Amino acid sequence: MTKHRNLVVPAIVVGCVFLVIAFVYWLEPASSLPSFFPGHDAASSHHHVKHGVAAFVVALGCFAFAWFQTGPSDTSSGTS
Amino acid sequence: MEPITYLQAVILGILQGFTEPFPVSSLGHAVVLPRLFGWNIHQNDEFFLAFLVATHLATAIVLFLMFLEDWRRIGRGMVRSLRTRDISDADGRLGWLLVVGTIPAGLVGLLLEHPLRTLFASAATAAAFLVVNGVLLLIFERLRTRAPAPGDWTGDVDSRLSHLSWRQAFAVGTSQAAALIPGISRSGVTMGGGLMSGLSNDDAARYSFLLATPIIGAAAVLKLPDLLGHHGDGVRGQALVAALCAAAATYVAVRFLLRFFETQRLTWFGVYCIAFGGLASLVFALS
Repeated sequence: MTKHRNLVVPAIVVGCVFLVIAFVYWLEPASSLPSFFPGHDAASSHHHVKHGVAAFVVALGCFAFAWFQTGPSDTSSGTS
Repeated sequence: MEPITYLQAVILGILQGFTEPFPVSSLGHAVVLPRLFGWNIHQNDEFFLAFLVATHLATAIVLFLMFLEDWRRIGRGMVRSLRTRDISDADGRLGWLLVVGTIPAGLVGLLLEHPLRTLFASAATAAAFLVVNGVLLLIFERLRTRAPAPGDWTGDVDSRLSHLSWRQAFAVGTSQAAALIPGISRSGVTMGGGLMSGLSNDDAARYSFLLATPIIGAAAVLKLPDLLGHHGDGVRGQALVAALCAAAATYVAVRFLLRFFETQRLTWFGVYCIAFGGLASLVFALS
């Protein structure tokens, strides 16, 4: 797997953003979500739990990606 | 009156167990057959959705147990890769390929399951998509990267599967989302994706079963509150019976398919889907 060390910081930042989004979905009802969030509904008190799960999974994916990019370089390529 | 009888539960459980691993769309059959039998069960009935949670959970558990040794090796490989931050061994790589394939399908499922289910709710639509599924299976066989040859695909199967590229794993995994449409088979599109990525039929089937387990299991667990809540009132006993039937049928179906695909292709299933979907469409049009 080719390492892209310059993507580590962006991946962590994006992961943190999605983590925050996940908690917003879990904690806030649809009426209190920012209007640009998918699922915003001014007349609803429903919590979009699934949207939160989706955002959380994306966050985990970003963190996992960043983690592997910080690992040792691909041994098969022979480069460091 | 019970919303689902025990006889219907047995039939639906066996149907789910057989059609989930087969590339013929379990959801499509679960929508079309009740209508053909004249049962008063509809895809969007809350009690029916709660009932289906049990059969899907049973399918996922059986798939997990049947490939338990693979999952153990995959789990150990993933832990090893996390520790070393290196994805070079076959088991760890296969595990992360499955993750890469599962995440996009899971996201699409979480966000679009309800709108798609509402949009394609009718049995007639499901029958039409069964025909589409059959055509897709025939196209997959036609466009497969290469035909199997004697001596192909020797060695450890997980090692062979781990040769899929990240892009191929992503594409095959994302294609699972198409199965949110009743009539399109999740295992069909993943097996087809595997064939187009250069896998043999039996390796593509094995990859499809491994890919199925987390997504079916997670979807069922997420919806378990529906079955345990008031939507499950009146169907929990039937759901348990159906789950047992689904578990037994899944076991038989997977054993059969792993042997079947050693020598056979998707073609028969494609022909079946076109014939069954076409016939059902005709019946619905005339009724």
